[in-house]
Amino acid sequence: MKDVIDVMELQREKTRKNPQLDYKKLDFNNGFTPARFIFECGMKLNGQPLTLATASVVMHRFFREVDPSNYDCYLIAASSLYLAGKVKDDPLKIRDIINVSHNTLHRGSSPLEIGDEYWNMRDAIVQAELLIMRVLKFEVGTTHPHKYMLHYLRSMEGWLGKEQWETIPIARASAAFLQDFHHDPSILDYNPRHLAIACISLALQCYGVQLPLIEDTDDEAWYNVFVKDLPKDKHWEIMEKIMETYNKEPGSP
Amino acid sequence: MVNLNMENKLKRYEKIEFLGEGQFATVYKARDVETENIVAVKKIKIGSRQEAQDGINRTALREIKLLQELHHKNLIGLLDVFGHMSNVSLVFDFMDTDLEVIIKDNTIILTTANIKSYMLQTLHGLEYLHLNWILHRDLKPNNLLVNSSGILKIGDFGLAKLYGSPNRINTHQVVTRWYRAPELLYGAKQYSTSIDMWAVGCILAELLLRLPLFPGESDLDQLTKIFGVFGNPTEDNWPGVKSLSDYMEFKPFTPIPLKSIFTAAGDDLLDLIESLLVLNPIKRRECSQCLQMPFFSNKPAPTLGSKLPLPQSVRKIRDIEKPSLKRKLLEAAEGGTLSKRLFF
Repeated sequence: MKDVIDVMELQREKTRKNPQLDYKKLDFNNGFTPARFIFECGMKLNGQPLTLATASVVMHRFFREVDPSNYDCYLIAASSLYLAGKVKDDPLKIRDIINVSHNTLHRGSSPLEIGDEYWNMRDAIVQAELLIMRVLKFEVGTTHPHKYMLHYLRSMEGWLGKEQWETIPIARASAAFLQDFHHDPSILDYNPRHLAIACISLALQCYGVQLPLIEDTDDEAWYNVFVKDLPKDKHWEIMEKIMETYNKEPGSP
Repeated sequence: MVNLNMENKLKRYEKIEFLGEGQFATVYKARDVETENIVAVKKIKIGSRQEAQDGINRTALREIKLLQELHHKNLIGLLDVFGHMSNVSLVFDFMDTDLEVIIKDNTIILTTANIKSYMLQTLHGLEYLHLNWILHRDLKPNNLLVNSSGILKIGDFGLAKLYGSPNRINTHQVVTRWYRAPELLYGAKQYSTSIDMWAVGCILAELLLRLPLFPGESDLDQLTKIFGVFGNPTEDNWPGVKSLSDYMEFKPFTPIPLKSIFTAAGDDLLDLIESLLVLNPIKRRECSQCLQMPFFSNKPAPTLGSKLPLPQSVRKIRDIEKPSLKRKLLEAAEGGTLSKRLFF
């Protein structure tokens, strides 16, 4: 009966994993809250993972340059999503963004009628988009760790062997760590290749996987085949930062 | 802080003259007071609230995003971007003219050496673009810009896009019709660098003929014109053609030898045309392969940039700007250049 999906368990797991947040009661939380909002709305909008990653990077970069208390972080989040959709050629419609963000902020409310409130929101998003562009000096291209991670994981598939690869969800866990780390502004501080390695390392550690045919020594780490310029302490630092992100989730112990 | 910056930017670029207006932008010639360079400032129009504004224009954003990362002698340079009020302005290298103007100017003679120079520069720019996984998707003579030193730069990246994602569906409604590759006309949604190569082939043909090779009046007429030269595609010369979404049969055409269309072209040049204008996109040659072809190493050598011809319009302006002693002497000797022309 291993193949049967336990729907009830999934449901329980889902509510446990994604508590319905009341954003109005949350504070900025060093960018965690707007990032959480971006991912929640972005997934409802069916945005591509790279679009959501771009949106959160744009949002974190914006708040690095300004005083966060001067801006409504949900407006900046919605606007970042809108801009990211354009940057990534994954067009998210402004009407959909408004409806989804409105419903996410005011859960259970009906969609906005076309009226003053709607037009004001639309105006605000568009104005904020331009403001974001200016604050970021029009540099909106991002180099994502994702493509490096994919490449590393692909190479590791053969290294680990088919059997282990298919039974242990290394790729899935690494991708999850990477996406979740986008909740933290410190994602901006690290080299994308280093981030990719740290996410994979953490996944390996979580599942206690040892890579064959290699021994970690003081001056040689498993990832040296992929990146040469990542010192061990930095590697640990990034892994710790990733783990810390999980303590920032509202309601976490 | 930010606002202060913008004020400086506004002062930095002094408007010289109005150059043109498109659907989304107005372009001005301006002087950069910091460097004394002449630049082109493209001011993006942002729709008003009444026109259901959608914020920053996607075309402009593509140009900003892609050109910030691309630097090549044969690609238009994005020098600066700034915003003022609800506008965004892009500052580009100033280019005096483009290949469309040059082709249409019948006072210009395009020698093989000149054509070789334009093709080399186009292929170098495009090679760099393709190596960076970007498709231009709108190559046409009008978008190949030329400055008064004879440097050609590929411009207008409003349709450019990253390629290479295997699962990415693209629109086939790209490229101005006359330069559109047959697979696009047949509705292909997954395509690659070969669509740009076809356009380069059409541009090369136009440099030789001084007229568009396939001036189709509709998408169907476009295919008719293409097959009129190359014959109909078959599963033999283009495997998979029949499974394209908009595929249809055309009345049978007999291929015409290229030699009879391009009567003045040498064999090495015909080889180049033949490797660019291939119906089957997979058989079309890439930039790097084209650059290795004998045409580019054979004589005559490509014309030096400074020796490339300039259209009448640019020559006139230059003459007005720098009235040289030599010209004055010539004018005196010939009784002035103007009197030789008849005005009705």
